[in-house]
Amino acid sequence: MKRRTFLTGAFAGTAALALGVNLYSPTLTTTPDDVHHRVLFSVFIPIFLDGSLPEVPSHREIAINRTLDAITQSINHLPQAQQDELMELLDLLEGRLGLLLLSGSMTPLLGREPQQLIDMLEFWRFNFLDMLKVAYTGLRELIMASYYACPEHWGNLRYAKPTFLVSP
Amino acid sequence: MAIIDPIITGLRSGWHHIDASTLQKNRHFEADVVIVGTGAGGGTAAEILSQAGLKVIMIEGGALKSSTDFDMEERHAYPNLYQQAAALKTADKGVSIFQGRTVGGSTTINWTTSIRTPEPTLDFWQQAKSVKGLSAIELQPWFEKMEQRLNIEQWQYEANRNNAALRQGCEKLGWEYTVIKRNVKGCWNTGYCGMGCPVNAKQSMLVTTIPGALEHGATLISRAKVVKLDYKGDKVVGLTAQAMSEGFKPTDLQITFSAKHYILSAGAIHTPSILMRSNTPDPHKQLGKTFLHPSLLSGGLFAEQINGHSGAPQSIYSDEFVWRDGAVGDLGYKLEVAPVHPVLIASKTIGYGVSHAQLMANFNQMQVTIALVRDGFNEQSPGGQVRLTDDSFVLDYPLTDGFWQAARRAFLSMAELQFAAGAKKVLPMHDGLSFFDSWNDAKQGINQLDLGLIKTIVASAHVMGGCAMGEDKTQAMVDSFGNSHYLENLSVMDGSVFPTSLGANPQLSIYGIVARNATALAKKLTAK
Repeated sequence: MKRRTFLTGAFAGTAALALGVNLYSPTLTTTPDDVHHRVLFSVFIPIFLDGSLPEVPSHREIAINRTLDAITQSINHLPQAQQDELMELLDLLEGRLGLLLLSGSMTPLLGREPQQLIDMLEFWRFNFLDMLKVAYTGLRELIMASYYACPEHWGNLRYAKPTFLVSP
Repeated sequence: MAIIDPIITGLRSGWHHIDASTLQKNRHFEADVVIVGTGAGGGTAAEILSQAGLKVIMIEGGALKSSTDFDMEERHAYPNLYQQAAALKTADKGVSIFQGRTVGGSTTINWTTSIRTPEPTLDFWQQAKSVKGLSAIELQPWFEKMEQRLNIEQWQYEANRNNAALRQGCEKLGWEYTVIKRNVKGCWNTGYCGMGCPVNAKQSMLVTTIPGALEHGATLISRAKVVKLDYKGDKVVGLTAQAMSEGFKPTDLQITFSAKHYILSAGAIHTPSILMRSNTPDPHKQLGKTFLHPSLLSGGLFAEQINGHSGAPQSIYSDEFVWRDGAVGDLGYKLEVAPVHPVLIASKTIGYGVSHAQLMANFNQMQVTIALVRDGFNEQSPGGQVRLTDDSFVLDYPLTDGFWQAARRAFLSMAELQFAAGAKKVLPMHDGLSFFDSWNDAKQGINQLDLGLIKTIVASAHVMGGCAMGEDKTQAMVDSFGNSHYLENLSVMDGSVFPTSLGANPQLSIYGIVARNATALAKKLTAK
């Protein structure tokens, strides 16, 4: 993955939000915190979904935006306690001290190379501390579930729901 | 083809249903019997009691959704029909839990597998848990009654490839297997049971006993979360629910109930939670002891199409390893398969990036076997404990050494079975693993695995216990008919009465035992 594509994805997510582009749900609302969190997820999505996201830049951008909207929707459905835990993690990842604690470096995630992000995820994933493993699996499940919840991302799977039903 | 929605038709005909999210002010209701929860227990009890002429109110925390809403998409099914949008986990995040939260409870979203309570379980309850009157012979008429009511019959069609692989592996290895009985009528064999049956073929509570109760004048109140019951001395005197918004956020509106008799059927987490929050007597600290059938997953990659999303999700199981060492011996496990749908598989497999993308690209060649570990029968698996938090609950469920030993055996059995069935590669769902190319490699690799919390994927769709039955008050909250040992007009009728897990999918056990207990209660309440 080239760094330029990686950054484009991140900014595209933010831009789409600023313009009010909303591909997932007409009832979605955003808060200033969401904007920061979208930037953060825009950093992680190309890592978690490398190989699944479309190669064509414009398609890739649409898929990332769609996943970002789906993530917002997924978070809204989580029980408050899980939302609180997730927000705590995201806030930590947005602050320099939190980043130092979780990744051993103060460099903002947006400024890191993909391999550095992979190294951080691997550090969490195989850490002896359950807290870091939870951080990894929490982000992983949220991103994977949100991406594959969208029917337009099922192309590679050759999966489609039956079409035998029509509205009465 | 347009499908007639029996719920919409029934509501038009005048069924009493109140969606609490539409209430404008506090309300109070009175009835002969108030039932909390509309799953396998609540639905069965509601029909029997209303047929006996009693005025019944059913209270459900979830919404009333029906076939018109069931669009076969996980993104809508999980938030609409599952507890915590299918993201419920144990306190240490070690086990993901799938449980229904909708009218019909888990029966609306389960995979239709219907198995009578295994005899070794019933024997163990009788011998070690002071349960009376629930032998296989005594329960037989109740199972027969509910099998007839819910059209529970052996699946007559050919198993889909996902299940056929389980059968084929068993045949090759000489292992026991059974064709599953399912509660379906006119099933279209599409494979979307877990998202709500779109054609009303699944004989869930939603389309059978709940309509039966409503036809007999019962009232259903949905989106109402019961927060506590009030008691004086040894009698329950009232029950309070909170109206929920359309998006399941608590509102300020309260709904209160008074009745001659109260039944808790809110499931194995919420039934004990309600009792704990109400500070009802529990002198022997028995409330909330919970069992899960914690389950392991193994993916088998086949050369041919498996299409695990298509066809009846479960039609074959194997009990080869459930009772091998006796009820109190090493933990046994039941082998079944899981349907393969995108969100479920993407989130419950392992890895990310290119390796995960490759896994997903082989989605239709993936066969998924699961091993459900039978918990609660010995000190290796004491089960979990429901605990209250300020405004909710958590479930502590430590995964013990005994469990991890069973998990290793289960991974070995599943890999052996999948290779025997023709899998080219097998991937036990444990983080960091790559596919094994042969049974020999798998055997070596699995024996060296460092199994443990979070890195080994563990899931549960069967929450049981929490309000155990039995005659001995030091180990039970209710008697063998589900009547509270402490409050004379309170019964518990759901899977929370099980003193251990079952070693089988729970719905038919709940139907049969609740049919027996609700019939006895109806007789008592209608006696002159």
